Amino acid sequence: MIVADKKPIDEVIETIKDYEKILLLGCNECVTVCEAGGKKEVEVLASALRMYFLNNGKKVSIEEKTLERQCDHEYLEEIRDVIDQYDAVLSLACGVGVQFTADKYLSTPVLPGVNTCFLGATEKRGVWTERCQACGKCILASTGGICPVSRCAKRVMNGPCGGSTNGKCELGPDTDCAWQLIINRLEAMGKMDEYEKLSPLKDWATDRAGGPRTVEREDIQS
Amino acid sequence: MQFKNKVESGEFAILAEIEPPKGVDTTVMVENAQRVKGVVDAFIVPEMSNAVMRMSSLGGSLLLNSKGMESVMQVCCRDRNRLALQGDILAACASGVKNIIAVKGVDPGNGDHHQTRAVYDISLSELLNTMQLFQEGKDMAGINLKGSPEIFVGSNITMTATGSLLDKELEELRSKVDSGTDYFVTPPVFDMQSVNSFLKKVDLSKTHIIPTVLLLKSLGMARYISKVMPHVKIPDSVIKRLQEAPDKARECTRISMDMIETLKSEGFSGVNVSTIGWENKLPEILGVFAD
Ligand code: SF4
Repeated sequence: MIVADKKPIDEVIETIKDYEKILLLGCNECVTVCEAGGKKEVEVLASALRMYFLNNGKKVSIEEKTLERQCDHEYLEEIRDVIDQYDAVLSLACGVGVQFTADKYLSTPVLPGVNTCFLGATEKRGVWTERCQACGKCILASTGGICPVSRCAKRVMNGPCGGSTNGKCELGPDTDCAWQLIINRLEAMGKMDEYEKLSPLKDWATDRAGGPRTVEREDIQS
Repeated sequence: MQFKNKVESGEFAILAEIEPPKGVDTTVMVENAQRVKGVVDAFIVPEMSNAVMRMSSLGGSLLLNSKGMESVMQVCCRDRNRLALQGDILAACASGVKNIIAVKGVDPGNGDHHQTRAVYDISLSELLNTMQLFQEGKDMAGINLKGSPEIFVGSNITMTATGSLLDKELEELRSKVDSGTDYFVTPPVFDMQSVNSFLKKVDLSKTHIIPTVLLLKSLGMARYISKVMPHVKIPDSVIKRLQEAPDKARECTRISMDMIETLKSEGFSGVNVSTIGWENKLPEILGVFAD
């Protein structure tokens, strides 16, 4: 999923301080799972903001709504009838949701309420880790199912760099060396011969090297 | 510092582009430059133009300097992060490069290594600010330098914009001047008509503009440029002149020579002659300037 983190409240206040009628818009997908922008976070942030503006003698109306998804035309249409009632939308969706909402409602400022961080997984409640960089050409089949693109600091493709120590990355003892993890797993699977195969030069054209990307599937387009 | 002195004293400066080789054989590069050594004030060494891998501008610039020729090193944010950019600029300045021009750089998708990642860690304006900082004795992190360089800083500007695009271009010009840009090199210019609107707003005695004169190689090239480079305007009169000329190669050279004369009489600070691969034509194009 897309992992996001709450923006500091001071930053949120700074971005919305010039507006009087604000729609706080949550999203039921990834940001709900990572507890940054779902219905619950919308409620908590709305209360905090109301309290702040009340204490500061500023009349600001903050209304709450959480859509099934903000990255889908269908669900974003749900606010078409009400969008003109607001001076701005504070979206707690990821950057995709913010932009999709902004695309659709051209004259309404749509402001981000979270920092979109990475594609990752929930380790345990309150801890998420990066697992994928969406490079557009998955190599997990040859790296024991562990991604050196997203998990190795240097993105090296053929075994660890010289900084790998006791299974930890040279960044420090808190970071596993991705290549140690890869080797451990290849060993466990009895596939160390995979490790000996040189992987070719990485083609970054499918990453951001070729500019903004599009996936087109003619077979399912209507 | 011949280039800087000329620009600052109001004399017409002559720059020429010299591409470094794709390889280590620099014979042709050096020979082409040496043929016009006394005429050209400084050679612009492109930084892997069109994202085609070749010797870096730093290497090419140092090579020309070592042969007694002045160079203008190009830097761009495409291939280097802030560490590498700063390190290379210091290396260049400490080794005698005095002129640096910061350019946008073509995306790798258009080059011959399209699988590479572009860097763009910092923007062009931040790079210009960095060179200003360097001259004040600091690096990008605000740490003091041990010996600060003196750099004659250039950048690019387009003169053919009109309407609101022209306003944007003028705004960019102002902000680059504020960031310490001493002179501007423009894309190829083929007539004065296309740059009229720009010249009405810019005082050439105060802003040093150095237009590029591009050697056309054929009628086909002229047509191609008109089609794919919207900011380069080739007037019909130039196309017609080429169509009617019995000796087209000679006419291409004459068009460049005439344009240089025009730019000089219009009060520009200089000219940048670009021959993209035909540097052996430089002596002919610049012949009139030889003593
Ligand atoms: S120590 Fe391992 S994870 Fe860290 S940079 Fe080196 S190879 Fe990559």
